[in-house]
Amino acid sequence: MTGLDFLLLLATATAILLFMRGDRPEAGWLATGAYAVQLLVLLAIGGVPSQASFSFTIQGNTLSWQLSGLGWFFGLITVAAALFAAWYSAGDWGKQQAHMRVQHTALALNVLAMLILLSSADLLSLFIGWELVSWASYLIMTQRGGKAGDAAFRYLLYAMAGAMAILAAITLIAVRLNTLSLEVFWLNLPTLPSDLLWALLLLFGAGFGIKMALLPFHLWQPEAYAETPGASATFLNAIAGRMGLFALLLVLLHPLGLERLAHLADPLLQFVNARTLLAWLAALTAIIPTFIALQQTDARLLLAWHGIGQGGLMLLGIMTGSTLGVAGGLLHVFNYATYQAALFFVVTSVAYRTGTTDLDRLGGLITRMPWSYVALLMGIIGLAGLPPMNGFVSKWMIYKALIDAQMPLLLVAASISTLGTILSVYKLIHNMFLGQLRPAHYAVQEAPWSMTLPALILAGIGFLTGMMPGLALDLVDKAQLALGYALVPHHLGGMVHPGGGLNMLWVVGILIYGIAIGALIFFLGNRRHLTHQWDNYAGGHFLSADTPYQYSAHFYPGVMRVIGPWLRGQVLHLELSLRHVVHVLADACHAFYQPTHAVLYVLIVAVLALAWTL
Amino acid sequence: MNLGHLLLDMVLMPLVAFIVGLMLVLMMRRVRARIERRVGPPLLQPLFDIIKLYGKKTQISHGYMQDISVMILLGGYIASEIFLPVPGMDGLAQQADLLTLMYLLMVPMLGMALGVGQTANPNGSIGISRALSAMLAYDVPFVIVVAGAALHYGTTSLPAIIAMQQAAGAASWGIFNVPLLAIAGLLSIHAMLGKEPFEIYVAPAEIATGPMVEMSGKYLGSLFVMQCFQLYTVGVLYTTLFLGGGTAWLTFLPKVFAVIFLSVAVTNVYGRYRSEDAIRWLWKWPTLIALLGLAVVLAR
Repeated sequence: MTGLDFLLLLATATAILLFMRGDRPEAGWLATGAYAVQLLVLLAIGGVPSQASFSFTIQGNTLSWQLSGLGWFFGLITVAAALFAAWYSAGDWGKQQAHMRVQHTALALNVLAMLILLSSADLLSLFIGWELVSWASYLIMTQRGGKAGDAAFRYLLYAMAGAMAILAAITLIAVRLNTLSLEVFWLNLPTLPSDLLWALLLLFGAGFGIKMALLPFHLWQPEAYAETPGASATFLNAIAGRMGLFALLLVLLHPLGLERLAHLADPLLQFVNARTLLAWLAALTAIIPTFIALQQTDARLLLAWHGIGQGGLMLLGIMTGSTLGVAGGLLHVFNYATYQAALFFVVTSVAYRTGTTDLDRLGGLITRMPWSYVALLMGIIGLAGLPPMNGFVSKWMIYKALIDAQMPLLLVAASISTLGTILSVYKLIHNMFLGQLRPAHYAVQEAPWSMTLPALILAGIGFLTGMMPGLALDLVDKAQLALGYALVPHHLGGMVHPGGGLNMLWVVGILIYGIAIGALIFFLGNRRHLTHQWDNYAGGHFLSADTPYQYSAHFYPGVMRVIGPWLRGQVLHLELSLRHVVHVLADACHAFYQPTHAVLYVLIVAVLALAWTL
Repeated sequence: MNLGHLLLDMVLMPLVAFIVGLMLVLMMRRVRARIERRVGPPLLQPLFDIIKLYGKKTQISHGYMQDISVMILLGGYIASEIFLPVPGMDGLAQQADLLTLMYLLMVPMLGMALGVGQTANPNGSIGISRALSAMLAYDVPFVIVVAGAALHYGTTSLPAIIAMQQAAGAASWGIFNVPLLAIAGLLSIHAMLGKEPFEIYVAPAEIATGPMVEMSGKYLGSLFVMQCFQLYTVGVLYTTLFLGGGTAWLTFLPKVFAVIFLSVAVTNVYGRYRSEDAIRWLWKWPTLIALLGLAVVLAR
């Protein structure tokens, strides 16, 4: 039995076990243990290609599975995200949920489906894995019903369209190259005619792009991810969308593929090539959703919109085609998973204690939930991409790769996305944790440790891999090696680069030193004494519990007056009307397939069959 | 690199930055006084102000984040200063580059924002909302300037950028080779310093000095120290990018003072832009000039 066999067996066993025992109080801990074992098996595989011992042959095509270094890298993040999600739901949060069995099973099925997808060794197994992941995601999204059900249905429409696009692309390859093998496809890639390659790029790009919410296929994601129950939403946000990036990397974005895309001229604008076009699409995906996030008033939606933007940054790094850029993009997948999961955990904890994630109905929670605040603070620094957190390192690598590749405008685009993120995450932390505490929340307590600890540990990993990016870059190496890229020469603290390197050990060390000096300066003054939040300047008025004294709604009026008109959402209206058409068609079909008319249908089929045979 | 030299760097750098910063604040206040036909404060007044604030008996805080924010905002600038290469003290400049510095300089802003948020005063929050909006506005041209400079010099290593400009004399300075970028850079650092017409986030009569509304005693004193650091850091960064940096303090400091002087001299004749007008202006003129400058660099 190979390592991959064992891993898939374990994942299947976990799903079955949780299906049977998922409603028990200890199910959360059981799931945590099961994912921990899966993680250990993955670590034991260690990024070395692991072949599954089973394979099938269908009409002369072999279906096989192999976990390459690339799949291993994504698999590691997937299983770790599931581990944290299960841990989070093992304590008090899980007890409060209505259908934990469905949630546990759905999560385990998602992990299994993703592992199958990540170990695809040919185009057919890729498609099967892809479909499994799509349906597993639907299961995890739809369980709460209501708004979540609508969002999941919306996702399903996109996913079906995407699957059709991928199937069409695979059929095209099968017809033109007479193969379903990935290796043969890669070898033929440099000599494929331009029109075929454009068709493949559009079909694969749309199909995989839907999953990673690449513009303009992004509209389904925020609501679907935000409406999913907390722990599952964390898992989805941390890694699910990245499956699209994995598939794109696997099929098109290895060195040969990128090289070919760089020489694939746009049929309309000859001076633009496919690689630049994709890079700009990635940059727009990094910018536009970020500024939509800035407008959100719900913490979960705000984070989910940022998830889309961060996905754009990852693709942008990879599209530079340089070793540094690809490593930066992949490292960002890892880094993003750590801080996004921490952020979602905290938001869920706040919802658990206060019953809301509405940013206009919170405030001042820092005094009540200090540990959650610390985790959120570290998370937002990572999301904003500032030192000392890990988000900065991967973004730095992407910026640097863009400069090296002489793409300064894309660097500016990436930086604009970062600036938007800083504004937006400040709004997030301010409206939830800073400002005046509302009378309704006077009695709120810190979330239980089963909820704060996972968030704090994730934030801690974010800090640690920010100070020592070498730890995470070792994992990235496996993925890069599997793709066929050269490795970035790195050390524990960062990398040496001919045009200006980065050593995070020094950057973080000096920053901490600076803060220590700052503390020294601070403690020079007299002892401070704490005052109540009502002891505050209010233009001569006295503050009391009846006086709402908080600034949170419409937080950036100046910016919104400038960019608001740009974000009116015409695309949203178009998408809504399309969805309505699908709904009407679905209703019509549903009405047509009423079981009451079964006899009629049988009769029609029988008559038609007779007519055809006679 | 020898350890003693390194430690000396780390201890002396914040001190030098503070003293030079005090002089820059003094210059700023004196220039304004002369324009208003006053004499202006005496030499040590900026220092006395800080000492007075630190010496206050009652120090009011709204919570731990307000205390920590003071440390973060000072720490962010101190770290930037240590990484900035200046004459005789560039031991650590190789460990972080221009891009790192650009983002390190956002740390104090975030620190201040968090502290002001904890003071639980909507005037402060409005001030921070405006300050962050302004940051979004001025950093767009500034990023273009940084990208252009990085491409022009072919590196993001600050010591390398200085060495390049020093090797070929004044003719190789950024300001003469990439003048459009230098102009755009000057305009965006003017906004970065929060000088009129870009000081709506303070707006004393409207939002009671915004971020400073609940800051008194040593908290306000720390903001004064931060102002010294900010003037110094921004001045040195600009000098490094466009004015050839420096090999000796005697030739280096006048350049830093000149950069800040330009900003503080013109500021006094302006009124105040609303946030949206400031954003529109910064996204129009400095951004256009910077883009033109970038195009010139790319065309070479």
